[in-house]
Amino acid sequence: MKKALVKLLGKEKGQMFRISLFSIAISLIVGSVILILIGKNPLSAYGNLLQGTGILPKYSYAGRQNMFTDFMSFLDALTPMIFASLAVSVALKCGLFNIGVSGMMLAAGFAASVTVGMSGLAAPVAKPLVIIIGILVGGLVGGLIGWLKYRFNINEVVSAIMLNYTLMYIVTFFINSFYADPVSRQSTPVTDASRLTLVGVKTMGLKIDIPLAFPFAILTAVLIKFIMDRTTTGFEIKAVGLSHMAAEYAGISIRNNIIKTMVISGALSGIAGVTYFCGYTGSIQPGVVPGMGFNAIAVSLLGNSDPIGCIFSSFLITILSKGAIYLSSQQGVDIEIADLITAVILIFAACSEFIRIYVTRTVAEIDQAEGER
Amino acid sequence: MTDTIIIDGLAFALPMFVMSVGGIFSEKSGITNLALEGLQGFGAFCGSLAAVLFAYGFAGSSRMPYYLSYLIAFAGGMLYAMLHVLLCIKFKANQIISGVVVNILAVALTTFLTKRINEALFSEKSNKFVLETSMRFTVPGLSRIPVLGAVFTNVYPFEVLIIVIAVITWYVMYKTPYGMHLRACGDNPHSADAAGIDVNRVRAIAVILSGGLSAIGGMSYAYSISASFSPDIYLGFGYLAIAALIFGNWSILPTLGACLLFGFARSAGQALIQRLGMPSTYNDLVRILPYVLTLFLLIFFSKNNRSPRALGEIYDKGKR
Amino acid sequence: MGDPGFIVEMKHITKCFPGIVANDDVSISIKKGEIFALLGENGAGKSTIMSVLFGMYEPDEGEIFIRGEKVNITSPRHATKLGIGMVHQHFKLVSNYTVAENIILGSEPQNKLFGFIPRVNIKKANEDIAALSKRYGLKVDPESVISDLNVSTQQRVEILKMLYRDAEILIFDEPTAVLTPQEIEYLLEIIRGLRDGGKTVIIITHKLEEIKAIADRCAILNRGRLIDIKDVKDTSTAEMARLMVGHEVSFSVDKTGAVPGDTVLKVENLTVRNDNGYEAVKDVSFEVHSGEIFAIAGVSGNGQNELADAIAGLARNTSGKVLLCGRDISGLSIRQRIEEGIAYIPEDRHNLGLVLGFTLKDNLVLKNYYKPDFSDKGVLNEKSISDNGIRLIDEYDIRSSKGNQTIVSSMSGGNQQKAIVAREIDLNGKLIIFMQPTRGLDVGAISNIHKQIVAERDRGAAVLLISLELDEVMNLADTIGVIFDGRIDRIAKASELSVNEVGEYMAGVGKGGTG
Repeated sequence: MKKALVKLLGKEKGQMFRISLFSIAISLIVGSVILILIGKNPLSAYGNLLQGTGILPKYSYAGRQNMFTDFMSFLDALTPMIFASLAVSVALKCGLFNIGVSGMMLAAGFAASVTVGMSGLAAPVAKPLVIIIGILVGGLVGGLIGWLKYRFNINEVVSAIMLNYTLMYIVTFFINSFYADPVSRQSTPVTDASRLTLVGVKTMGLKIDIPLAFPFAILTAVLIKFIMDRTTTGFEIKAVGLSHMAAEYAGISIRNNIIKTMVISGALSGIAGVTYFCGYTGSIQPGVVPGMGFNAIAVSLLGNSDPIGCIFSSFLITILSKGAIYLSSQQGVDIEIADLITAVILIFAACSEFIRIYVTRTVAEIDQAEGER
Repeated sequence: MTDTIIIDGLAFALPMFVMSVGGIFSEKSGITNLALEGLQGFGAFCGSLAAVLFAYGFAGSSRMPYYLSYLIAFAGGMLYAMLHVLLCIKFKANQIISGVVVNILAVALTTFLTKRINEALFSEKSNKFVLETSMRFTVPGLSRIPVLGAVFTNVYPFEVLIIVIAVITWYVMYKTPYGMHLRACGDNPHSADAAGIDVNRVRAIAVILSGGLSAIGGMSYAYSISASFSPDIYLGFGYLAIAALIFGNWSILPTLGACLLFGFARSAGQALIQRLGMPSTYNDLVRILPYVLTLFLLIFFSKNNRSPRALGEIYDKGKR
Repeated sequence: MGDPGFIVEMKHITKCFPGIVANDDVSISIKKGEIFALLGENGAGKSTIMSVLFGMYEPDEGEIFIRGEKVNITSPRHATKLGIGMVHQHFKLVSNYTVAENIILGSEPQNKLFGFIPRVNIKKANEDIAALSKRYGLKVDPESVISDLNVSTQQRVEILKMLYRDAEILIFDEPTAVLTPQEIEYLLEIIRGLRDGGKTVIIITHKLEEIKAIADRCAILNRGRLIDIKDVKDTSTAEMARLMVGHEVSFSVDKTGAVPGDTVLKVENLTVRNDNGYEAVKDVSFEVHSGEIFAIAGVSGNGQNELADAIAGLARNTSGKVLLCGRDISGLSIRQRIEEGIAYIPEDRHNLGLVLGFTLKDNLVLKNYYKPDFSDKGVLNEKSISDNGIRLIDEYDIRSSKGNQTIVSSMSGGNQQKAIVAREIDLNGKLIIFMQPTRGLDVGAISNIHKQIVAERDRGAAVLLISLELDEVMNLADTIGVIFDGRIDRIAKASELSVNEVGEYMAGVGKGGTG
């Protein structure tokens, strides 16, 4: 039993990756048990998730739709998720837990929506401007949390949560008072010129949503990976994250790095916010903190807070959240099943360090036992 | 107007206070507990489910379902807290991450279960268990006192319960052997271990208790502010409770002060809006008061606060 | 069956940790009412075997008999029930509890409130402990809070803790490491008193003169194995030293006379407040010249850490001046001071000297990764970082499982220390601060580091050596300053000072001292 587990999870190279896969596999099994308990076939349910995200073909399609259109709208949902999980990852590298991604997304999305999103600016100006506003607003909120942490020793988790709710109520107040769409009860949709997703582009007989920021998301992940692994900036952030005392002793400024990291993390959250609210949805629902900010924590943990790992885990979690809509319509299962499975994945991801230590120790024991023979 | 502020303020502050007390128990033993939010929600879920079920079993006027639901909530909160115990103590997960994860699961699980149960038992699609608002009582005589009389006016029974619990927990924390062991585990688990105390057991009990206490807070919100159980119960009150105990410097009485401050800030804001006849959307602006106040106060209090020395540290006995 | 003539018998104890055999088939028997010493170097397995006896580790093999009965000691609580008590090297005290609360923790006297609600009877505890401390001559106030007490008083609290639990077998783990010579005298007196009162005492130490002074018998361990058990009165110190190390030892360091040059470090009226606002260093002035080893002797906790941190720039709350080669550096940041030529080997190698989660090669460039040698426009040069690692690993014989790529937390303490020394010496600084450079290292490693310290001096660097080991100070120093309670009241050429005189100043009772 022990040996099999060790063999499965491997010794060093790729161990974390395999442990992530292991967490996912266990979670899917737990999910299957839940599905069986409510009388559904887990295989077809998981199939529905893939069909809903354009990875497997559906049985039938409405007009002007096929697998490709589904996949493109899946990418549309994936794009903000990648940015959001990168935001969490960068903060984790510095030993900071950014639970404020949601609030930052909301603030950035709102700021961009009510300025550029409701202006008459032309697309070539409006779209970059939306992203710039996202970066600025997100970075500002992130920097605030970093500053509060360093200057006043306020735990970043507590301050971020306070800001989440504060920003949510402020945005809700403004939307309900000034920007509410009387029909949808959401904020007035942003203009097509400013929207980061080209909605319903008619080509090849299809109507496709094209997420313009998707390639940008992949590039950003690669860039963050480069910064973290290959630059002095990354070296300093990681040193501070691993040991404040040792970093300070080596002459690395704790304050600068905490604030710098939170600004970067905030800026990434901001981009997530604009790609979500000015791209994927196009409007903001008042009174709600976007759940994506919290799911991003799961994604980042699952991706072992590695930027490239985040792309893969975003992919997986988005299949769950996006595919759940189709699953729900096909099987009559509550859409919350996706959140439930995500939460279970998260629990196993939280234990991954324990699994890693356990495996390493077992490997040592087995090696020793074999050595004695 | 002052009467409303005091009455509503207390009704908001005391449930938060009992959650904070739960948090104090956990953190004084050395386990960071961001899971209060999820614990109160899960407890409220269990209690509300019980209340809805009992409502069928008892005569309409019986108060039994009300009291039983608190008992079930308490038990449910303790049960769910075992997940935090499992992750933090058995699997040695990062306690902050564990807390957040426990919260996320609580939201997902209770929402899912509420829907399923409503559909299965009552054949209705709803994510709510509708409860009656708790009864209230007014103490004759005392309520006549000017201004302070409001404290004894329109009191929810749970407010009394919470005060009683606070006194008991204070006693347990500072006067009993268990309390002494608990505080020792939060300051220096190695000394506690050397003195023959089972550190992990003491901590596990503390976290489980914090689950039960948080659940009482959550159940009280379900019976008062929202008059139902629904995902709306996750409004961050658990996190506010953590902020309160940080101001309160991990001591019970100052924490009560912090909770009262939040409560009165909130009720005063609402009273003001009503008085000025502002549109209801302005309520959203008032709702930020406790959160902003928290941030503002943390600026003054965080620097000098002394958290339990071993807080958040994973205790590994075999460590060399 | 055990032999009833012995109160403790440990037979064929073997205890392994991943990668090391801490105890290899060790058998010892201890008579009731004797003082039994366990002698050995760091890592010889003395603490491990006593931790086994105290129930902190379970042995992989072997049997334990207490008072002739076979026992399986599963926890410290169990050991306590068997009448075994232990004073650990790092005291196990709850800092915000009173003396009495610490002593009763885990076995509190109780009474009932209203006849049925249990409560801790703190009044009775205070009385009992006052009586106990009077009986054994261990002066403490039961109601004072631990964090307000000095080390020697805290140690008395630990002893009372054992006595309160009616322990008959008392284990002391390196009890004198943190005490002044005068406090050591007092402690040894207490230990003798305990034996004369019928207690059995086991003392773990690597100091031969203490064993000579109080122990009846002595077991010598080396690398996990029991070498021999000797009657102390029939064995010479040199004989015990030979058995302990496994070969003849010379305690002296080869070094020529110092050739001091210009003043490199000048400290003027330096005062440092620690985090609690206490003046840990008080109005200290001294000079260190190039080509000179200036050693600061003192008992732990007299301001040495704060002094070193202040010179390196890690302490914030300072007044007075620090000059490096005539330039006032008091206002400079840590990094600026590093660039001015200050290298610093800190006492706390785990938390301060290394980023434990980093690889060895990254730790070896921790202070100069941003220099043109290792990076260009903010992009790290992997090749040169890797070459630098390979070179230093080779030069300083840093051993690890995966070379450059080893995560340093998995390395042994000695090799971690080598890594820090390698990095700091390689900075080619004008001033090198060595803080407790050999703590916890074995004899071979110690002598290597001593050679490097002397070599740095001969290169022309100014060396500031801060050590708690009086031998180290006496052997290496060209000039000695003695620190007590944050003051340096005596500075003199090493040749002009005797060990006794230094000891007196360390205890604050030297001529002209503060008393």
